[in-house]
Amino acid sequence: MEARELKKILAAYDTKLNETLSLNVASFKRINLDKSEKSTQRILTYRIIEIIVFSLLSLCMGNYIATNWSQTHLALSGIIVGIFTLIALAGSIGQVTLLQQIDYTKPIVTIRKNIELVNAHGLLFVKLMFLSTPIWWSYIVVASDLLFNIDVYAKMDVDFVLKYLMVNSLLIIPLVWFLNKLTYKNLHIKWVRKTLGLFIGSKTMKALAFLNAIEEFEN
Amino acid sequence: MRGNKKEQFMKTIDEHKKIIYKIVNSYCQNKENRKDLEQEIIIQLWNSFDNYNSDYKYSTWMYRIALNVAISFYRKEKKWSIKKDVYNEESIFTIEKDMVEEQTELNYHLKLLQEFIHNLNELNKALMLLYLEEKSYAEISEILGITKTNVATKINRIKLKLKKEFQNI
Repeated sequence: MEARELKKILAAYDTKLNETLSLNVASFKRINLDKSEKSTQRILTYRIIEIIVFSLLSLCMGNYIATNWSQTHLALSGIIVGIFTLIALAGSIGQVTLLQQIDYTKPIVTIRKNIELVNAHGLLFVKLMFLSTPIWWSYIVVASDLLFNIDVYAKMDVDFVLKYLMVNSLLIIPLVWFLNKLTYKNLHIKWVRKTLGLFIGSKTMKALAFLNAIEEFEN
Repeated sequence: MRGNKKEQFMKTIDEHKKIIYKIVNSYCQNKENRKDLEQEIIIQLWNSFDNYNSDYKYSTWMYRIALNVAISFYRKEKKWSIKKDVYNEESIFTIEKDMVEEQTELNYHLKLLQEFIHNLNELNKALMLLYLEEKSYAEISEILGITKTNVATKINRIKLKLKKEFQNI
């Protein structure tokens, strides 16, 4: 069957629909149009809460750095944790911007991409988690100082600190390479798919797969 | 004033009801879910009704919204959905029974075509629907947000796929 024959069938279907399809006015009027809210409202609320939390954490870290400026190890740990908090804050602000741009009257590909980028937000936290591995001691130093007033660094063996710094600085380059690979564009690579599957939820994975499909559709 | 707006909205929906009906049938196979999708599309259209941009054809605007809602619905993205309590139990469409139940050649071919469309992914499904609706490349490009050249390439691929799929009929 050729495409034009199919179109003939559809034209016949159209004619038939013209004769048989009607709007159920009673049902239509029962839809509570005034009660409906913008679909992005709820998710926007979550992201705004995230922004508030990360902003407070950033301020807290700023204060921590200023207070401990004279103690290099505490200030440095504070700066590292602060940078990660700011990255998370920037991610959440980016999400709110994306959400504001979601308007169903815009072209489908553009809107789908924005929606899936919002759905794939969890990936940012997974990446931050991986990125934190070489500097995880900073979190412990800051947390133990803030929560229990214990300076862990002062109790550490100098030899351990040196070994830790050496090993972890060696980790940075492979880690950056690894994190660059963890995107939807590389879902065709088996280990990328497996790694993402292990650390992110099925919804985020689904969003990444769809982002990949959108990109294929665009090209 | 608001009452007039609702009347005008209902009139517009009535004029373009086939668009919604066809999109709902293409993206949703379950009869119960279809009612929800119909109503969700109506609600999104209502929410955007004030912002209709007359630079575009009304059908272009409607296709964009209805397809965007249908894709979200198809992907079961509940967080993008409207609150369930605004739905009602009944479909907003009435279709004469003989059209549904008739065992005609037309219905047979339509069923095959619907199966073919169901097997496409969300975006190709939208493209296929627009192609079968005989929309121009320019309009398809406006609705989907891809270039006209890309639309042409994809339509050629779809034509080949259709030919292959329906060669024995």
